[in-house]
Amino acid sequence: MTTTVALDCMGGDHGPQEAVRGAAALSLKRQDIRLILVGDAPILSDLLDDCAYNPAQLSIEHAGEWVEQHEKPREALKAKPNASILVACRSVAEGRAQSIVTAGSTGAAILAADFCLGRIPGVHRAALAAVTPTELSHGPREDPFALLLDVGATLHATAEDLVTFAVMGSAYASAISGNDNPRLALLSNGTEPEKGPAEVVEAHKLLVGMESLNFVGNVEGLDIPRGTVDVVVTSGFLGNVVLKMVEGIGEVISDLASDAYARKFLWRLGLTMLSSGLKEIESVMDWESYGGAPILGFRHPVLKAHGRSRSRALGNACKVAAKAARSDMVRVVEDSLAALPETIGS
Amino acid sequence: MNSEASPWRHVYRWDLDKTYLDTHFEKFSRMVRIAFESAEEKRNIPGSAALLRELSADGGEDVGAARVCILSGSPRQMRSVLEKKLRSDGIVWHEFELKPQWENIRRGRFKAIRDQVGYKLPLLLSSRAAMSGDVRETLFGDDAEADTFIYCLYADIVAGRVDAPTLVRLLRSMSAYPDAIETCLDAMAQLDPFEAVERIFIHLDRGTPPAWFAPFGDLVVPVFNYFQAALVLFTEGHLDAQGVLRVTRAFREADERDTMELANLFQDIQRRGHMTAGAMQRLAAAVREQRSATLEGEVVTVCEDRFVALGPAATRSSLGSTSVRDWDELVDHQRRRPHG
Repeated sequence: MTTTVALDCMGGDHGPQEAVRGAAALSLKRQDIRLILVGDAPILSDLLDDCAYNPAQLSIEHAGEWVEQHEKPREALKAKPNASILVACRSVAEGRAQSIVTAGSTGAAILAADFCLGRIPGVHRAALAAVTPTELSHGPREDPFALLLDVGATLHATAEDLVTFAVMGSAYASAISGNDNPRLALLSNGTEPEKGPAEVVEAHKLLVGMESLNFVGNVEGLDIPRGTVDVVVTSGFLGNVVLKMVEGIGEVISDLASDAYARKFLWRLGLTMLSSGLKEIESVMDWESYGGAPILGFRHPVLKAHGRSRSRALGNACKVAAKAARSDMVRVVEDSLAALPETIGS
Repeated sequence: MNSEASPWRHVYRWDLDKTYLDTHFEKFSRMVRIAFESAEEKRNIPGSAALLRELSADGGEDVGAARVCILSGSPRQMRSVLEKKLRSDGIVWHEFELKPQWENIRRGRFKAIRDQVGYKLPLLLSSRAAMSGDVRETLFGDDAEADTFIYCLYADIVAGRVDAPTLVRLLRSMSAYPDAIETCLDAMAQLDPFEAVERIFIHLDRGTPPAWFAPFGDLVVPVFNYFQAALVLFTEGHLDAQGVLRVTRAFREADERDTMELANLFQDIQRRGHMTAGAMQRLAAAVREQRSATLEGEVVTVCEDRFVALGPAATRSSLGSTSVRDWDELVDHQRRRPHG
């Protein structure tokens, strides 16, 4: 089965070059994924000509405008009706593609998806989900990461929103990682049900009663890197802080190791002896291999790649987006939300 | 050179390996198997036979016949197998040159076994010298070795843009044997300058990025397949709409391409400036006129959508423009080629 992914080439920190390179490389490897490169067509065309690529797998859709990272998303989209993220979303809405990848502004991606694709009935707020590296592995493929959501789509979440996030996170983990019954938890400052802010306590009560989910209760921050559960649900504010901290720790460890390597011969020797183990840790911490963070809640999959993404990360994001489109993820979320009590799903 | 009007309407020169025949190999075992394949076992590049048949079809007394010249680096020992293969494809040829590899070995000319420039250029020039001056040519090669370099050099020599001392210097820098240089100079002396080479199609067997060919100028059209070549040849008046459809059908059947893939291939050749909007409209109109061709009609509709989707990139055109080639730079460029 062939899936078409619309790749917004214009929003990333490194410009369209990395997106085009990633798409070109993917076109040579995967015959089952077609890509629509969305952006300034003359620029994309010239960049593509510098790459080895399979032309049968690629097409270009022109978008002469795009949303810059510093712009306010709502105003920018209003002022730029042909912004690349809007054109990418329209290509999905009109049936030319089945999912979207963007490395551009998260806010613009959420708004554009909201305008063009619409939300799944019952979803009041979209959630940005990210994978975080863990000590324990997850699912039948023993993935070394867990899913954390929301990591910044919205700042605040009500108890009902947290329940919706739980349903969407569970469906995504099931579709992408092949984990039929993912273990799900709320992030709090204690494992006891009454611990945490009011909306977390309320969400706990609601989730306990939902048999369709494998809800195991609350987890603390230390459980995230341990990987005691497959899906961790939290508000966008807290999730974003946690995610950035995990990324920062990984980078600091890498910098410290490089510094130690340069400073003393004995440390260099020690690091050399540990190199295979360190490489394994590095590969687990390597966000580029995870592709991107899904923005859940829309009628079609939307993948938000890191703004700093290079070609490899964007290529991987396209693979995940294609997989999400092929899976029944959206239908599972729809069905799960439809089965919720009216107070949540309405 | 004979200055009488040419009896030929056009000359089409084709390489065989990786241009007409699919002789791509990743493994040594496949390379050995190719050398011993029978005519029946030989595989075409999808659409190559259909395209060559269309190009060489008899145009009637008014326009004259097309001359098909085949120049291959395959050894002469393969002649009977290759001729049988071409005949079974319905191809009629007028020249068919194969490399004298056994003679190269016997004479200890080991450089000549791999050399393409010193082999192909003298034969191209000699063939041209034997023709009348006003016939134009379209050349087909691939990106595996030096076809682009050889064909462009040939085009510039025939057009009088490369003089004898420059040619000698270039051929020496490419390690050509003295007798090859001598043959080139003899043939060159018989030529009146004429802009004979109209277009050079390079089949991207190795997937070389199209931008690599830019220094060779707009004469060169890198194509991923013969569906794309047929579209360009339609634009330039070598094929009519029915011819394009026949090549498309053959390509589609041989390569199992669906509508979306064909539309993407169309957009690729179009965005690279090798097919004009006018040609697109003419093709679309011709396809719509024949009501039975629903499949092709569907392809054309999607192609039109892809055309619109390109926005300002849709109006770029490289056809008809010329560029001056810097041959010293091109020697270096050729040496640095990908897959070299």
